[in-house]
Amino acid sequence: MIRGADERVADVRRLLAAACRVYEERARMATALARSTGLSAQGVELGFASLEREASTGELHALVASAGDAAHVHVILSANVFVAPLRAIAVARAASGRVTVQPSSRDPFLARALVDAAHDPAIGLAEGSSPSPEVDRIDVYGRDETIAAVRSSACAGVVVRGHGAGLGVAIVTAAESTDASARALAADVVPFEQRGCLSPRIAFVEGPLERGAKFAEVLHEALEAWESSVPRGTLTAAEQADAARWRDALAFAGPTWAGARHAVALATFAGPATLAVPPVGRHVLVLAVASLDEARVAIDSIARFVVTVGANDPQRLAASQAGARVVPLHARLARLGAMQRPPLDGPVDRRGSV
Amino acid sequence: MSPHLRSDALHGRVRSMIRAFVCGDAPPESFDAIAVDLVAFQAERVPGYARLCAARGVDPRSISRASEAPAVPAEAFKMASVFAFDAREAIATFRTSGTTLGARGAHAMRETGSYDAAALAFGGAMFAPDLTEPRVPRPPVLVIGPSRAEAPDSSLTHMCALFARTLGASQEGSFFVRSGVLEVGRLRARVASLPREGPAIVLATSFALVHLLEDLGSGAGSHNLALPSGSRVMQTGGFKGRSREVSSAELRRDVARVFSVDERAVVAEYGMTELSSQFWEATLVDDRARHGFYAEPPWARVVPVDPATLAPVPDGAVGIARIEDLANVDSAFAILTHDRVRRAGARFELLGREPGASPRGCSIALDEMLSASAAKAADR
Repeated sequence: MIRGADERVADVRRLLAAACRVYEERARMATALARSTGLSAQGVELGFASLEREASTGELHALVASAGDAAHVHVILSANVFVAPLRAIAVARAASGRVTVQPSSRDPFLARALVDAAHDPAIGLAEGSSPSPEVDRIDVYGRDETIAAVRSSACAGVVVRGHGAGLGVAIVTAAESTDASARALAADVVPFEQRGCLSPRIAFVEGPLERGAKFAEVLHEALEAWESSVPRGTLTAAEQADAARWRDALAFAGPTWAGARHAVALATFAGPATLAVPPVGRHVLVLAVASLDEARVAIDSIARFVVTVGANDPQRLAASQAGARVVPLHARLARLGAMQRPPLDGPVDRRGSV
Repeated sequence: MSPHLRSDALHGRVRSMIRAFVCGDAPPESFDAIAVDLVAFQAERVPGYARLCAARGVDPRSISRASEAPAVPAEAFKMASVFAFDAREAIATFRTSGTTLGARGAHAMRETGSYDAAALAFGGAMFAPDLTEPRVPRPPVLVIGPSRAEAPDSSLTHMCALFARTLGASQEGSFFVRSGVLEVGRLRARVASLPREGPAIVLATSFALVHLLEDLGSGAGSHNLALPSGSRVMQTGGFKGRSREVSSAELRRDVARVFSVDERAVVAEYGMTELSSQFWEATLVDDRARHGFYAEPPWARVVPVDPATLAPVPDGAVGIARIEDLANVDSAFAILTHDRVRRAGARFELLGREPGASPRGCSIALDEMLSASAAKAADR
């Protein structure tokens, strides 16, 4: 029997209720999560704030509409953002009456907890790493190479929805306060140490270089303050190497504001070559742009990676002609400070939908 | 002293060191002595280097050893000016290949004398020691690559042209890639016309050699590029998507077969656009030398460092290559590459490119995005 939209919404609501229970019990898995993610204990707690526990009916209907329809969805999860399994499972459950979940081997805790708490016979953990023969859709989250591998090994007729590498960018228009925008952006940089595709890495600040410098300085101060309340977690050796190299390269290229465990670099936009995308671990490139059109040129060159665009006043940005052009069609538009908490209205990554 | 005079003086000191090497004499001064003056000069004249020193908490005027100098990441050449003179004074600008984002690093030079002297001195010593004696006839040099007219901003082409001009009998008809097309027929005819009594030199990139091997196929015709006895082949660089990837051992074996030379006469060279010096395998000059292990000239060093701390790794451990090059007078003395290396006595082993941080989950693929996904040696 084909489920109607209301029934699907109700199924997702039950999952949200499970998320609430998991959230209430979060202390039980905090240590394991800190170990598996490398986040500090405070970083884990901050990450839990991004776990979706409520959504409006309208948002859930949008999620159902975007979810598609399948007989059996197999969900392959990644370990980048530990709360991400909720949305991934919700999308799959909205699409299907049968969901199997394959947690990341590195970070399986939240996925398992959600499945356990859901008590939904339609949702189960996958046994083994291969989807069962009944699966007609695979939702895979992770590296582009992982997605390609899943796609190539999927049986004929199985739909593969891949959600790969991505990032967030912020736009600070000439009309907006640099100080307020910088402080709000810091709140988006810190969660999950920028390992997620909603994490901002580049901020485009409209105006002269001095304005960009002011923004960078305040952002640096804000990140310094965050370090006191939510210390940065442990980076892998490779992440540390990327960070060391990026810091030195950007210090050579222009002014930088560096703390012990974060860095902000300032540059003007002189073509895509200047888009030295920062590595994970609280690193931000501030690009001073003469106009939003210049920002658009820059963003166009990385548009396929841009999952979300943050702005102090998203509605106003979208309403202006130049502002509308600067946001890639597929990208989510979010308020600065809330880039990591998009409404539960579909997958965070909409690149496949445009 | 004016910046020009200081630069000229530093070039002079480096060239004295190069001359001493050519003559078999002891270096007139230590590596560190030139390095500390070079670092002070570059920090004064290159704003980016001054910023890097400040960021690393290093006073460039008070270092006493080369190892104390902060290394410039190779990607900085894509992001900023890395030269100690007015841009209008550049007489040559070598560029790295483009990346996904179209970024190309630029290494500008206000003079190429030290570059040329370094390339000829060490290249000659490692690749043609028997062919540079005054009474030995100059060998024909065949470059499986473009001429300078076709690739004026390639440092590799500059070096090959230099070798053809200086080591070779004639530069005429030496280049066998035109408009990006490998001219196999012309190469074959040229090889057939070579005098059989003296050796020839072939200079090529790895990917050009792969294309050549593919064009020749594996049939009987694949052997018709037999070079005269004593000939040798230089191969350099990686593949970077320009041809299929082939292991160095397989490529060397096939190249040796096609050109009818001993495998030890297929010698790899390692260099970068951002450098002024090169490193060579020593198989032609040292019976015990192995492929994959490179020798350094006295004016350049390769130091494996920990990629996170940038500190030298213990002897024998793998690190990324920090290259100190005294011939880089007007740019950057120390450069941080993406290449993995390991010290092996007086030589270093080249182990391929550092993969970079594996993107976790949906985190962006840095290696793809960063301008740092820069040139490999092949793209000079």
